[in-house]
Amino acid sequence: MDFVILSLVMLAIGIYGLLTNRQLLKVFISVELIATAATLNFVMLASALGVGLGQALLILAFSTDTAVSGVILALLVIVSKKYGTSDISKILQTIHDKDESEVEA
Amino acid sequence: MIFEILAVGLIISAVLALFLDEVIYSVAALAGIFFFTALIFIEYNAIFAAIFTFSVGVGTLAVLFLSGEMLGDKPTKKTSPKRVGTLIGVGAVLSLPAIFLSVSGSSGTNSDLLFGDALWNIRGLDVVLQAFVILTVALGIVVVLYEKKKKGGQ
Repeated sequence: MDFVILSLVMLAIGIYGLLTNRQLLKVFISVELIATAATLNFVMLASALGVGLGQALLILAFSTDTAVSGVILALLVIVSKKYGTSDISKILQTIHDKDESEVEA
Repeated sequence: MIFEILAVGLIISAVLALFLDEVIYSVAALAGIFFFTALIFIEYNAIFAAIFTFSVGVGTLAVLFLSGEMLGDKPTKKTSPKRVGTLIGVGAVLSLPAIFLSVSGSSGTNSDLLFGDALWNIRGLDVVLQAFVILTVALGIVVVLYEKKKKGGQ
C-alpha cells in the first residue's frame, strides 16, 4: 500500500503551501492539492481492495471539490477586483490602513 | 516501477505548482498533477476515477488559466532555470518516502460489487442530489457575481 505515503506527502505539501503562500491563486492550488491527496488515498484504497464503491463515492467527492473550487474562485474574483491585488499581505495592509484612517477621522 | 515514476512526477508537479513565481506556470504544473493522478488511477485499474479526474481537471484548468491571467499579480522577476532545477530536485527528494516506504495492510479483498451497481443501487440518491448541490452552488456564484456587478455599476 505505497499510495498511503504518497498521499501523506501530497497532503503535507498542500498544507505547507496553504500556510506559506501569500497569493490567493496559490492558496487555491494548495486546496486542490489537499483534495487530490484525499481522493488518491480514497480511490486507491478502494481499488486495492477491489471494491467498486470507492469509485462511486469519488463522484461525490469530486462534486464537493468542484463546488468548493467554484466558491473559492468567485470569492477570489470579488476580492481581487475590490483590492486590485491577489496578495494576501497587501490586502490585509489595505484593510489595516483603511481602519486606521477611519479611526483618525 | 511505473507507480514510482508516476509518484515522482506527481510530487515534482505539486512542488512546481506551489513554488513557481508565475501563476500561469503554476497552473501548467497543476495540469501535470491532474495528469499524473489520472495515470496512477489507471495503473490501479480505477478507470472511471481516471476519466472523472481528467474531465474535472480540464474544467478547472480552463477556469484557472483565464483567472490566472486576469487576476494574478505580475512577478517582479522571472523564474530562473536554476530555481526550476532546485524545485525539481526538492520534489524528487520529497518523493523518496513514497518510493521506499510502504504501509502494510490487507489487500486483494475482492468483492463482487461493480462500479455501476455501487453507483446506482447504493449511492443512487446521492448521485441525483449532488447534481442539485452543484446547480445550487452555480446559481449562488452567479448571484454573488451579479450583485457585485450591480453594485459596481451604481
